[in-house]
Amino acid sequence: MNTSLSIAADSGLAPQAGAPAASVQLRGLCLSYGGQAVLKGLDWALQPGQVIGLLGRNGAGKTSLLESLLGLREPDAGEVRLFGQSVTGLDDTLRARIGYVPQQSDLFEGFTAGQLLAYFRSFYPRWNEAKVEGLMSRWEVPRDRLIAKLSGGQQQRLSIIRALAHEPDLLVLDEPVASLDPAGRRDFLRELVERVLDRGTTVVFSTHILSDLERVAFNVAFLKEGRIACQAPLEELLDQVRIAVGSPAELQAQLSAHGAQLLRREALAPGQEQWLLRFTQGAPVDARLRALNLEDLFMELS
Amino acid sequence: MPALDLFHINTGSTEPIYRQLVELVRRLVASGQLKAGDEIPSVRELAQGLVVHPMTISKAYGLLEAEGLLERRRGLAMRVAAQHQRAQAPLDRAELLRPSLERAAQEARQLELSTAQALALFKEILQAEEPQS
Repeated sequence: MNTSLSIAADSGLAPQAGAPAASVQLRGLCLSYGGQAVLKGLDWALQPGQVIGLLGRNGAGKTSLLESLLGLREPDAGEVRLFGQSVTGLDDTLRARIGYVPQQSDLFEGFTAGQLLAYFRSFYPRWNEAKVEGLMSRWEVPRDRLIAKLSGGQQQRLSIIRALAHEPDLLVLDEPVASLDPAGRRDFLRELVERVLDRGTTVVFSTHILSDLERVAFNVAFLKEGRIACQAPLEELLDQVRIAVGSPAELQAQLSAHGAQLLRREALAPGQEQWLLRFTQGAPVDARLRALNLEDLFMELS
Repeated sequence: MPALDLFHINTGSTEPIYRQLVELVRRLVASGQLKAGDEIPSVRELAQGLVVHPMTISKAYGLLEAEGLLERRRGLAMRVAAQHQRAQAPLDRAELLRPSLERAAQEARQLELSTAQALALFKEILQAEEPQS
């Protein structure tokens, strides 16, 4: 089977003139573990106020990417800038504008939730205690029980509350809802929509729960083979990307007729191929073209 | 008050959410469930009600405004534009069903169903879901 992927990473890489500094700017990021390259010269930019869902297969390096973005991992090469400043020398004022929910809970298990929050509060000049109180009671996280005794879902809710408490301008969430039930996930999304997005917070989150992503991630980014293979508003991809099956000559004719961009081609049988096409002027109405949903896009692009 | 419960969306669809909303509002206006002068939920209310990004709602409202179905008023809720006094004639309304039926027709042909078989199934579905009054 012959597959190839060639997608111009667009949207978000070229800041408009006069726009504020990108919240996140990664250039040429390389990272490897034990000789195995995970990130291979990755470029990525998140503009202020963007909400971006990071998609990739297991092992694609999403956590490594998010940790490098936060300066928690030193890359082999490349540069990370947050709010226009290099992450290696990030000052405390800018550091206090970041919120992070790690995939693995990093809460101190010997503390109670109340003690943990009091401890973190001392580090942040901006700390919204009313918001913390409200979330703790609405999300039913007990204040006085040891964190070690909380359920996985309660720990995850506490980790989210901690990350939202200081009203960050950049919120990084790595699988934030993996331990939450559907009601807990809905509470979290509601909080994002009602009180986080309208502050203009830049949000990047990874998740495999595509229905959640579809609701709140206006933009999606696909991590594949160590690079951001594609980043675009999700609605644009749903409107523009189609699958066509036929002989290479037929497919080429269809591509040329509409000025489509070839994202991926795959040989199905001798003389028959499947092409993934992006019609940037809008997909034509044609019974031979198949539309994709987010899950299909995940299968094709990640 | 604008009825939030008229609005719903499906995730996992090949139709982006903004387009689902545009088509939903067209159907609500065509059927007379929303009439001229009726206020619709604000972007914020609908974003919160449906738990979707507010920009998705704005985009849908913008398109509906551009096609003359909704009108924007400074500082007030958007409302259904004045020319939509009453429900459209049933034939015009039926036209809104065409895209869904075209898709169904395509699938029926792929399944090599006869016209009679497909129509019988559609009739059965329509009758099964008719209200019981």
